[in-house]
Amino acid sequence: MIVDQAAREQTRARDPDDAGYVERNGVRVFWERYGEGEPTVMLVPTWSIVHSRVWKLQIPYLARHYRVITFDPRGNGKSDRPIEASAYDERELAADALTVLDATETERAVLVSFSLGAHRALLLAAGHPNRVSGAVFICPSIPLAPRPSDQFSYPFEEPFDTYHGWAKVNRHYWLVDFRGFLEFFFSQMFTEPHSTKQIEDCVGWGLETTPEVLIATAHAAQVKKDEARALSSQIAPPVLVLQGTEDAIEGSARGIALAQATRGKLVLLEGSGHGAHARDPVRVNLLIRDFVESIARRAA
Amino acid sequence: MSIAAEPTREQTRARYPDEEGYVERGGVRVFWERYGEGPTAVLLFPTSPISHSRLWKAQIPYLARRHRVLTFDPRGNGRSDRPADGAAYGYWEYVEDGRAVLAAAGVDKAILVGLCDGGGWALMLASRHPETALGVVALAPCLPYLTPPHSNYTRFPFADPLDTDEGWAKYNLHYWRRDFRGFLEFFFSQQIPEPHSTKQIEDCVGWGLETDPETLALADEEAPLPWGSTEEAEALCQAVSCPVLVVHGELDACQTRERAEAVAALTGGTLVGLEGAGHLPQARHPVKVNLLISDFVESLERRTP
Repeated sequence: MIVDQAAREQTRARDPDDAGYVERNGVRVFWERYGEGEPTVMLVPTWSIVHSRVWKLQIPYLARHYRVITFDPRGNGKSDRPIEASAYDERELAADALTVLDATETERAVLVSFSLGAHRALLLAAGHPNRVSGAVFICPSIPLAPRPSDQFSYPFEEPFDTYHGWAKVNRHYWLVDFRGFLEFFFSQMFTEPHSTKQIEDCVGWGLETTPEVLIATAHAAQVKKDEARALSSQIAPPVLVLQGTEDAIEGSARGIALAQATRGKLVLLEGSGHGAHARDPVRVNLLIRDFVESIARRAA
Repeated sequence: MSIAAEPTREQTRARYPDEEGYVERGGVRVFWERYGEGPTAVLLFPTSPISHSRLWKAQIPYLARRHRVLTFDPRGNGRSDRPADGAAYGYWEYVEDGRAVLAAAGVDKAILVGLCDGGGWALMLASRHPETALGVVALAPCLPYLTPPHSNYTRFPFADPLDTDEGWAKYNLHYWRRDFRGFLEFFFSQQIPEPHSTKQIEDCVGWGLETDPETLALADEEAPLPWGSTEEAEALCQAVSCPVLVVHGELDACQTRERAEAVAALTGGTLVGLEGAGHLPQARHPVKVNLLISDFVESLERRTP
């Protein structure tokens, strides 16, 4: 059964100080701004399986010190939900981010991305170095190294009799049991004990989009290995990679490889799974803050 | 199913005690700790030896910033002795242990805080020795006979072999002996019914496994009750002269709302009901409970400059 209606939004620790839409080629994208400080930190959206509330434990902390910009990825939250794969090309998401920077009159920002968000952050940081003063990648899904063997390894288009484990990453299964896929996927994202709340949150945000949208994203053009290598070597701003050692979605090899390719700093989060910023927010928030402070010192 | 005899490795603590020691009464050693230096002392009573003083782990570091916090492990769990005689687990023994801890820590008067049995012990100490009590915070207080017990405890006989292990039939000596962990997991899943409570349940099961079914049966079911009638329980409450705050979670599966209301009414205290909370609000709603306790402490500090 697919729940169509948006879950009732939870109360927030902090509400935005400003919000609005940008529109590109008929697709409207919703952004928010929190706080007034310097510099600006943009929390880049990840896969449209969730929206900007995935940063709910970063926003109130970072906004005490900095100006924080979020936006909902096309396909979820308050943004439009096109169902053409071309609308989810990583270049479209990177262009959305740039347009949000323009709309909020943000000259430069520190980008913080998570998982698939690494693709758009990498495109932006390498392609627009004058707009990006630093980049934090949390458990990046970037194809510089293989994933663990089972993840995303079953044919996406083929119908099966049963859909166990990672075989749930399948369009036919999504269309009949979207919640079942979300519950499985997020149980892999949060492998730490006592993660029921984080899983419940993410399943709820996942239910705000549709299998049709996610099928479109599965067919969209991403940054491929050679391009990822080239972009990584071009990145001028400082890079910090935070990688959970127990990441059951991407493994840890990709984060390590991205840190090497960008000549960035790598912090391995011992015991953390893929959703490190949601499950270990204090540790991740402090690391982000230290990184932003180090950039500010360098600039001064 | 085996029972883990060795204590689980202790978790790291947000704050470590500044002083610790033992008091001994009738050959039974009871372990206590002090955290912080503040002018007002807060004694956190333990509850039944199904757990021990770590039950207050989410209160200690907060309250100790401003107050002198005392805890002790109940006879039967933690670092206290486990006497093999039911008489050693009488209600008044825990009350007097609390008084002995105050004396050992050099404290004349304290805010007495307790949960369930411990809430009853705090009220009993304030009633019998009013000179020790600045005030009482009773979370989900248990006072036998004051009101009928929660129906969960009257469904099955405790000491008789049963032909079922379903639900509250697990509150049974024979089941405890067969599968103590199974009992603890069931019991705490009932007492902490809020969503996303796996950590609190795991903690409580771990502390429960630091005692054993025979000790728990002595303490909870064979120890002498402090009185035998509703009138005596009411008289005890009426003799409490200090300010009282009673807290009751609306989903409590151990102590009834009726009992919390009776305690508040008979002591002239204030009742705070917590929506969506179970029997262990201090574990699952620590910020709310900490603020309730500290507001209460501060209101009494203002009253006695």
